[in-house]
Parts: sequence; structure tokens; C-alpha cells
Amino acid sequence: MLALLLRRLLTALPTLGAVILLSFVLMRLAPGGPFDGERALDPATRAALASAYGLDRPLGEQLFRYVARLAQGDFGPSLVYRDFTVTDLVRQGLPISLTLGGLALALALLLGLGAGIWAAARAGGRADRALMHGATLLTVLPTFVTGPLLVLLFGLWAGWLPVSGWGGGDPAHLLLPVIALALPVAGAIAKLSRAGLAGALAQDHIRTARARGLAPAWIILRHALRPALVPVASYVGPAAAGLLTGAVVIETVFALPGLGRYFVQGALNRDYPLVLGVVTLYAALILLFNLLADLLYGWLDPRIRG
Amino acid sequence: MKPLLLFGLIVMLALVVPPFLPWGYDVIDWQAVRAPALSPGHLLGTDAVGRDLLARALVGTRVTLAVAGAAALVALVIGVAWGAVAGWCGGRIDEAMMRIVDLLYPLPFMFVVILLMALFGRSILLVFLGIGAVEWLTMARVVRGQVMALRERPFVLAAEASGARPFAIMRGHVLPNLAGVAIAYLLLTVPQVVMVESFLSFLGLGVQEPLTSLGILVKEGADDMDMAPVALLLPGGLLVAILICLTLAGERLRDRLAA
Repeated sequence: MLALLLRRLLTALPTLGAVILLSFVLMRLAPGGPFDGERALDPATRAALASAYGLDRPLGEQLFRYVARLAQGDFGPSLVYRDFTVTDLVRQGLPISLTLGGLALALALLLGLGAGIWAAARAGGRADRALMHGATLLTVLPTFVTGPLLVLLFGLWAGWLPVSGWGGGDPAHLLLPVIALALPVAGAIAKLSRAGLAGALAQDHIRTARARGLAPAWIILRHALRPALVPVASYVGPAAAGLLTGAVVIETVFALPGLGRYFVQGALNRDYPLVLGVVTLYAALILLFNLLADLLYGWLDPRIRG
Repeated sequence: MKPLLLFGLIVMLALVVPPFLPWGYDVIDWQAVRAPALSPGHLLGTDAVGRDLLARALVGTRVTLAVAGAAALVALVIGVAWGAVAGWCGGRIDEAMMRIVDLLYPLPFMFVVILLMALFGRSILLVFLGIGAVEWLTMARVVRGQVMALRERPFVLAAEASGARPFAIMRGHVLPNLAGVAIAYLLLTVPQVVMVESFLSFLGLGVQEPLTSLGILVKEGADDMDMAPVALLLPGGLLVAILICLTLAGERLRDRLAA
């Protein structure tokens, strides 16, 4: 198990390095800069700004300094939010994004696994087919359509829930964003767990368990579910990526002050350090979740270990 | 093949109808700001500045599909070339090439594309080049598997034994046999690309005004939905219909070829 973990880390680290290098190089290749405003700055001011942010040093040195600071959790100053460092913004926005993503993941697992198990127990039946069509529909629904639609239905027309804002973490404010974010992930989990479980239920040891007269619910929970969850575990990495990307839209739609919103603002305003920092952070998070998926794999199905 | 039929219908409508509408997609009708559906001259009403919603939705569909089609073709070309070379050469070359794919696979591509948009300005050309360049990975994996299997087939071995050049074998024997799988995955790539494009446009990072796309229209509709729900429902509905049709068609074709 430890060897597996080490090997996975060895592939994850170069990927992370590649992301940092790629985004750093792209940043410097980009035409125009953060100081190009409405009015042209006089050369002295421009030079002073460049030196204050270390932009006048050789590229290699800039990269080295950036990575060295990154290792200490320092993402550098934000170029647009002048009084904040990127670390400040991350510290402010990340908890909100993680709350949103974590709750959405929990909801998606609940709905997805529930629907998947329910459907697999009735494989081939009408309920199974209807549920799986519904799940396919959910997976293709973009969050930027479902989000506003939910606001329209429950916020504006029915008037049950607040339309936008964080509300200091008030559950009523969180409900719609979490649902909108969870739906596509729930659909994917439902499809994967249904396929996995239907396959597991067709195996010999399940037939034996049935022949011994065990209760169907017990058979599913005790004998079939664990190997059936392997495809779901493999989806953990992509799900994390999907939730993070979805959160960017959801935070914009619902005006939540999360990291995704800073990211979009940073991209629109060409705030290099901010965008670079968020991409690096997100890449690290996604790689972490992929690592987690590999460990889950081994735990769920010992045959994969080694 | 019902999903493809509906998709074809949407494409036909988007291509044929706009020239026959009384108002262009970017023309402002000052007499009819936020006109409701079924107003004279505006079948589905107008938006917050008096532009015809039906014309905008249909032109937006055109732009979205054009960008998605071009980007999917970029992905197809890179993916097939990469996978075919890796699968054909085998050995160390294959290992190195697939290693690169493995490294790239878990990356948060949406963010890399956003990074590209932020850095190099927001041009429509860059939108599809950027998306196409990151959506080829699945295609490369699938094609490589197919090529590896084809390489051992008797007709390929016979062609090799008779002294045909690798390039000729590839063109004459391997690529035609790849077509089915490639089309299935192309059908599955297009909705993903549609999603990325609309996502970017929704955030203001993709297609720019006055040109429009379904993502921009959904954004405009969302901003104005308390006044005119049609402005959200029409482009949103078209987008979802396109995504569903192509995904279903692609999945069916893929499953049929796998069976």
C-alpha cells in the first residue's frame, strides 16, 4: 500500500511541476501586462512598478523565486486587488468554495449512490431504465443553466429561498447553489454505481449467497457493494475537477465570495499571480483527489493493489 | 437515431431561418424593448435592449456549433495522429507518448483554457484552438488501442509483408477501420466542447459581443430572467437539447461498435 502511494506521488509531482512551469511560461509569453491601463504610464513609474514586483529580473530567477515562495504557501501579491496578497484572497475564498464543494459532493454521493443501488436492484426493469435516462440527462445539464433556472423557480417565482449571496453561511442561502452544483455529479455517480453493482450482482458468489437464502438487501450491502464501488472511486478525481469548475460558475451565478469568483475576476483583469496561484492550487487539489481515488481503489478491491 | 434527427432539425433551423426573420440578431428595435412573446415582428419577444430573441438564439446556436465543430476537429486530428503513431510504433515511443497523455489527463483543463483566454486576449480563434488542444486525450487513448489491435490483423501483416510503406498501410488499411470509433468519440467530444465554449462565454471569457453564442445568451437571460424568462429558457433549452442529442447519439454508436 505504501509502495503504491509513493509511486502515485512520483507521477503526481511532475504533473504539478508541469502545471506550474506551463502556466508560468504562458504568463510571460502573453502580450500586454497588468500595468497597461487606460492611460500610458511614464517609463519611470513603469520601471519602478516592474522592479517592485520583481518583473525586471531574468526569467529563470523569477521562476525560481516563485516556486520557492510557493513552497512556503506564499502566492505573491495580487496585481489588481492592490492591498491584498493572493494568499489573503485564497484564505478568504477557499473555505467558502470548499464548503460549497464538500456539501455538493455529499449530496451527490447520497443521491447518486441511492439511485444507482435502487436501479441496479431492479436491473432491466422500467424503473431502472427511467432512472438511468434521468441520470444521463443530469450529467449533460450545464450548471450555468440549472443554476439560474433554480433561482427562477424557487427564488423568484415561488419566493421560498434567497436568490443570491452568502448570507454568512446561512443554510437557506447555500441550498440552491449546492443542489445546482451536485446534480451533474449525482447523475454520473448514479450511472457508475448502477453499472458496477449490476455487474457485481451477476457474479458467482452472489448466486451462491442467493442460493443460501440471504436477504437481498444484505447481499447487496455485504457482498456486492464493495467491489461495485470501484468505478465510483475512479470517478473521485474527475468529480473533484467537475465540482471545482462548477463552483466557478455557481459562485458567479449566486454571487458567492468564493475562490472561483476571484479566479474569474482575475482572468478578466489579467491578474497574473492570482490566476496562476488559483490554477496551481486547483491542480494540486485535483491531483490529491486522484491520489485518494487510487487509495480507495486498493481498499475496495484488494486485487488491484500492488 | 431519433436524437440525431432532432439535432439535425436544430441545425437546419439555425442555418435556414435567421435571414427570413424581420429583425437581425444585433438590430435594436427601439419600439419594442422587452417585448413579450408573439409581439408583431418578434415571435418570441425581445431582450432588455430590444433585440429579437429568436434571431439571437438561432444565430447563437450557429456560433456555438461552429466553434464546437472546429474545436472538435482540432481534437480529432491531434488525437488520431497521436494515438495512431503511438499504437503503430509501440515499444518505447508508445510508452513515452502515452505517459504524456497520462500526465495531462488529470489536469484541470477548464482552468488552463481560462488561463489562455486571460493571457492572450479573447479571440474566437483562440477559443477553439485552446479547447481543441485540450480535448484530444480521450481520442488519443481510444485510437491507440484500436491501432494496436489492428496492427496484428492478417490484412495489415500481409500489407507489411508485401513491402507497403507504413504511411500507405496507415492510410489504406488502418485509418478506414478507425473511422467508426473516431466518429463515435467525435460525437461525444462535440457536446463537451459545446459545454466548454458556453461555459467560457457565460463567464465573459469566450465569444465577444456583438457576436453572440448560447453561453452569452444564457448569461444575458439569467441577468434579466425576472423580467423576461423566455430570454433564459430559449437559449438554455436549445443548449440542453443539443447536449443531450449528441451525447445520446455518441453513446449509442460507441456501445454498438463495442458490442
